[in-house]
Amino acid sequence: MKITMRVPKAAVSSQRGQLSKWYVEDGAGVKAGQLLYCIEMEKTALDIEAPFDGVVKHLAEVGKEYAVGDAIAELTRA
Amino acid sequence: MALTESLTTEQALSIYRTMVRIRACDQQIQKLLASGAVQFMYYPCAGQEAIAAAVAATLRADDYMLTTYRGIHDAIAKGTPVTEIMAEIMGRHSGTSKGKGGPMHLSDPDSGLMVTTGIVGGTLPIATGLGLAAGLSGSGQVTICNFGDGAANIGAFGESLNLAALKKLPVVFVCQNNLYAEYTAFADSTASASIADRGPAYAMPGVSVDGTRPGEVYAAAAAAVARARSGGGPTLLECTAHRLQGHYFGSDESHMDQQALSAARAATPIDTFGAELVAGGSASETELAAICSEAEAEAGAAVESALQAADPQPAELYTDVFADIAQIPYRQAGPAPREPDLGAMETAEISYAAAVTQALDQAMAADERVIMMGEDIADPAGGVGKVTLGLSTKYGEQRVMATPISEQAIIGAATGSAMAGFKPVPEIMINDFLMVCMDQVANHAAKLRYMSGGRTAVPLTIRTVNAGNVGRFGAQHSQSLETWFAHMPGIKVAVPSNAVDAKGLLLSCIDDPDPCLFLEAMRLYYNPAPVPVEPYRIPLGLAACKRAGADISLISYGWTVLECLAAAEQLAAQGIEAEVIDIRTLVPLDWNAIQASVAKTRRAVVVHPATEFCGFGAELAAKLHETLHGQLLAPVRRLGAAYTPPPFTLALESLHFPTTDAVVALAQRSMEATA
Repeated sequence: MKITMRVPKAAVSSQRGQLSKWYVEDGAGVKAGQLLYCIEMEKTALDIEAPFDGVVKHLAEVGKEYAVGDAIAELTRA
Repeated sequence: MALTESLTTEQALSIYRTMVRIRACDQQIQKLLASGAVQFMYYPCAGQEAIAAAVAATLRADDYMLTTYRGIHDAIAKGTPVTEIMAEIMGRHSGTSKGKGGPMHLSDPDSGLMVTTGIVGGTLPIATGLGLAAGLSGSGQVTICNFGDGAANIGAFGESLNLAALKKLPVVFVCQNNLYAEYTAFADSTASASIADRGPAYAMPGVSVDGTRPGEVYAAAAAAVARARSGGGPTLLECTAHRLQGHYFGSDESHMDQQALSAARAATPIDTFGAELVAGGSASETELAAICSEAEAEAGAAVESALQAADPQPAELYTDVFADIAQIPYRQAGPAPREPDLGAMETAEISYAAAVTQALDQAMAADERVIMMGEDIADPAGGVGKVTLGLSTKYGEQRVMATPISEQAIIGAATGSAMAGFKPVPEIMINDFLMVCMDQVANHAAKLRYMSGGRTAVPLTIRTVNAGNVGRFGAQHSQSLETWFAHMPGIKVAVPSNAVDAKGLLLSCIDDPDPCLFLEAMRLYYNPAPVPVEPYRIPLGLAACKRAGADISLISYGWTVLECLAAAEQLAAQGIEAEVIDIRTLVPLDWNAIQASVAKTRRAVVVHPATEFCGFGAELAAKLHETLHGQLLAPVRRLGAAYTPPPFTLALESLHFPTTDAVVALAQRSMEATA
């Protein structure tokens, strides 16, 4: 199984978010619940967890702004 | 009261397990939303777990539950499978409602979860119907109606509590007071100190408990459920528990009292209850941790399974609107339903109104599940038009139930009882009054089959009267509102023009698996016709050619069919042969018959009692032009009521409604045009 993780619609008014930090390397294996990255939206920092065990692929760059729904990472079931 | 005072260890642990399962699902959903892998509006239930878990612990598996968009905790507690909940909120075909309902409309009749509504207060009237059904069938089922403190300030609240108390219905109204109505604090939207205070005003117990304490909730709910089950009637049970988050996932919390919020988060109902269980020796910390792990594993597995589940196929778009997909407008398939052969049947000359009465009488005699509810419908009043006269005497006031002047409760009572297997025929005295219960008709009765992915159905028939063009009824008693309902996917609309059709269509509506609006015309009420004495059914979706002609099609329904027939006589005298098509039901629509007639005559006028602007004539005219462009000899014309509220004085009312002369004039104009 593989899912694409995206900039969340954290609020009805959410439009964009900035990827501020990766907690794991590209290609790293992670456990469910482990922090993957941080997105800053509307002055709030959202730490995003892995929904299940898997391997992470980076699809976005730190410091860049992305629209809600843009892909940030891919998580493939280990 | 101690948390566990009223609970055995087994009950306490079971409730704790439910609370933890709710929390695990809530947290999984919020993680998923944060990951952006799925997006939807989510209204967290965090803080209210004890209410759902403890109330559900007092119930039988077959008891009914209704809840709101903030209701995942209620669904889980009642037994709705977590895998199906997760699949539904991700819009998957394997969800509770095939992905058609979403998190705001979870439905799982197998576990008793009948409706989850997105309309604040929308389930209170429906609860009276489920209660009514349980009372009539003697099933002993109790209905739990969950709603928030905000819903207590909706009109449906008063109508529903009054009706439930009046009829001693087995319903427990559970107000989950989480101290905020969306973004507004309780004290800023509610003048009284508590919601439970209002119970005695409706002649029922009003009980207020701390909704963070499972023992208190359980004791109060058990008493209310026992009272309801034993015929004692409804209870208003207010359970107060601080909402631990903003209105929805991601919403700001600036409207919340930050100090109170911090305090509530520091001592959540689950943590507090867990500590009590350990302190009281009911469980060890290790045992509780194991319960938490199991719950997290369950929620995690459900999320994984939902992520991998398939979306519904595109063809599912049109399923579950009606039981039969071919009844969706312009989706007619196969041969048209057959007109019954009435020729050999014995007839008696009776009026349109008497034909309606006869249909009701025969339907009630044939099937005990046919019930009626409405204002003044029981004897001696027998309804304002006397259409139901004698029926309550013959079938009892349980089956022919006079109600308060509470249209939302009337339709809700019908909707709930229909969902529970009855065939209710609610009466709304005049169709203008449907406007005060539109939420129940449009958002609930019409949509429940679809929102539940076909798992529930609402086979009710709303009888109502159009009192237009009979003289001096004025603006609020003379409108003809059938088009509003035709515009609302999920409800069928029958508008008979004569006594024979009235009886045959009403019997079909009552048999029908979907909600129907049956609009009677007061202008036709006392028109007699030879009506077959025995029951017969005229299928919905079958137009009738009331007069054949080759020159022009006059397409109509309801009382304006008579204007068209009179116009056709005048036109015939001028050598113009008009064909009169009575479409009889707007939904399902016999489009093939309309198209065939106009393909033959190549000229058409659509005539109806409703406002011409945006009326049904606009739909038919547009469709005829789309389909027969190039073949038509004249533009399809429309004739409906003028764009004014119906006036009182005859001097103006006669100008407001379509007349025979106006039909003749329009037909003549069409005949003058050449291609």
